[in-house]
Amino acid sequence: MIEYQNLFTQVQVRHAPDPGVGISDPENRIPDSGFSYWLGKIGDSQVGPVYLGWLGVLALLTGGLSIFLMGMVMLASVGWDPVQFVRLLPWLSVEPPSPEWGLRIPPLNEGGWWLWCGFLLTLSIFLWWTRMYRRARALGMGTHVAWSFAAAIWLYLVLGFIRPILMGTWSEAVPFGLFPHLDWTAAFSIRYGNLFYNPFHMLSIAFLYGSALLFAMHAATILAVAKAGGEREIDQITDRGTAAERSQLFWRWTMGFNATMESIHRWAWWFAALTVITGGIGIVLTGTAVDNWYLWGQKHGLVPDYPQVWGDPVPAVTPGELDAPWITPPPMTNPGLETSLRDGFVLPGGDIVVSFADAVDLKEVAR
Amino acid sequence: MKKIGLTLLATGTMMVVAGCEPGLKDSADLGFRGTGMQQVAIPGIVADSMAAIQARAASANVAGQPSEEMEPAPPGTWENVQVLGHLSEAEFNRFMLAMTLWVAQGTGQGCNYCHVVEEDGNVNFVRDDIYTKNVSRDMIRMTQDLNVNWSAHVGEAGVNCWTCHQGQALPTNYWFYTAGDQRRDIERYYVNEGRRQTERYYLDQEGIRVISDEALRGDSDNRSSIADTRHLYWVMMEMSEALGVNCTYCHTSARFSDWEESPPARVTALRGVRMVRALNTEYMVPLQSVWPDNRLGSLGDGPKIQCSTCHIGANQPQYGIPQSKGEGHPAVRQIGFPHGGSAGAAMMMDFMGEAP
Repeated sequence: MIEYQNLFTQVQVRHAPDPGVGISDPENRIPDSGFSYWLGKIGDSQVGPVYLGWLGVLALLTGGLSIFLMGMVMLASVGWDPVQFVRLLPWLSVEPPSPEWGLRIPPLNEGGWWLWCGFLLTLSIFLWWTRMYRRARALGMGTHVAWSFAAAIWLYLVLGFIRPILMGTWSEAVPFGLFPHLDWTAAFSIRYGNLFYNPFHMLSIAFLYGSALLFAMHAATILAVAKAGGEREIDQITDRGTAAERSQLFWRWTMGFNATMESIHRWAWWFAALTVITGGIGIVLTGTAVDNWYLWGQKHGLVPDYPQVWGDPVPAVTPGELDAPWITPPPMTNPGLETSLRDGFVLPGGDIVVSFADAVDLKEVAR
Repeated sequence: MKKIGLTLLATGTMMVVAGCEPGLKDSADLGFRGTGMQQVAIPGIVADSMAAIQARAASANVAGQPSEEMEPAPPGTWENVQVLGHLSEAEFNRFMLAMTLWVAQGTGQGCNYCHVVEEDGNVNFVRDDIYTKNVSRDMIRMTQDLNVNWSAHVGEAGVNCWTCHQGQALPTNYWFYTAGDQRRDIERYYVNEGRRQTERYYLDQEGIRVISDEALRGDSDNRSSIADTRHLYWVMMEMSEALGVNCTYCHTSARFSDWEESPPARVTALRGVRMVRALNTEYMVPLQSVWPDNRLGSLGDGPKIQCSTCHIGANQPQYGIPQSKGEGHPAVRQIGFPHGGSAGAAMMMDFMGEAP
């Protein structure tokens, strides 16, 4: 009995694993295949065969080495303490070189590790991309998956490679780390005057939300006609049955227009790809061409004038009071220590001094 | 499969715990509609904090009222009084007792915390060879200075010792320089190669602006880096935590750098930062050679102040309760001067057996 596996079909067929269509170089496949009851709940219950090949092996090696290096750098930053590593993992970071290094290659501990991790990760991603491309070709498929992956790689390269080179310093790139890369995002928006006023950021958001909307509409439509065989999309294109006709009429009824079984996937593909393509354009223009997106928005009529709802400061601001210099890196010296040395103050000896600050947990007290 | 489920559950729980604060939130809209100028707070935590402050403040009620028309004590009343010469004798004694509540309460030593106890058990109020007295004198000078010269930040009501000390010899949330590889640094700053010690802003840092005044890169001389901006971001986050407020308490939501559209609290905060830098430079750093080793940080520097030293999580220190104000304490309401004349014999007092 032939059954399509979908959410309405609870039957899981057990048979000899299906090796799939014949391809020209089958020797790279890992032939072991099996079945998973739980994977069968959400998809095809057959696992494998996996095609790894030398591209896959190299991609996993370089990617794995990159992640391993990140982990070691983070572990080193907590003094090789595994407990602290686990506890503080969300805050740990592999930082790019500081601004004074420009595009030069710094020592490992001053950003060199970031360059290595980034290089290996990029290499891994490119190998994986090539693998996607070649596997699609080997199966006689189109290369749409590879090209949508390439769109994401464009944004990745803009953030970590293209824009830093245009800006002339690696320090503009994103650090590796959970919260640190989020902090970077916040800092990036603050530094360049609020990224929400960047029109390419707006486009990216529109395509992102649009992708979610299209995904929901398409998935809901197909699920809604699954009992009429709607998930057999290719069949429905070549040999239109009741599922395709009902679902398309549904959208003509409700919004006057319907995508076709084929075009809905082009809509989805382009919305997804344009999310990262426009996002990358927005990032690459930031700091290179535009220094303050809010002011750019004001110049181009994007920003409304809001009424003042607050009173004036008390006492009133004096001329020059609000002016301040641009941020400069803090000096490496400690003025207090210098003063004490000038006064003849002797540094405490090597004994461990009980610091009163140890007894004070800033966060606890702040509560 | 069970293992995968458990792992997912554990990971999810970890992320929730790391990323969220429990408790119902409440928010207030403080700006023009639709601009997101909201203040978010957890009412339960604020209520607990207020209750704790009220409970502590019950022990800070200073007996007596300040004299309406105060004449400085006649010359010769005291010896070695350098910064409180403007007080009458009654007000002087009231202030001394107040300080034992404000600062020495937690030590249980009363007057003796800052005044030398002679070998015969008598307290010598004249002698200066005890570091706590010298520090106290500079702290009184500092409080007078900031009430008189920094009313732009502390307001007309001003502050007193209790505002920061709250009965403890050491206020909370002071800071030291730390080296990046130290354990304490790990605990407090999550070791981050790019993360500088943010408190440096309250002493070293000259500027913190990163946002350009020009739309286009070519028109702007601003070359602040993302690394600088992340430093600024952490300083601001610390300030936000110190005051128990979010960004929009001081900044307009769409344009953080704009002074015209910002709430006036931002100007108050700017003056506060300048005040903290001045107080650190003029009072805290020079005291470094006075403190004993056990009061110093691991690099040998003395404690320094920051926003949270006084604010401790409240937008107004202790939410502005009367005990936190300088009002009613003439000792810290003007710049004091040395008391004239020579010592009277009455300076030697026996305080044994008498509760301060």
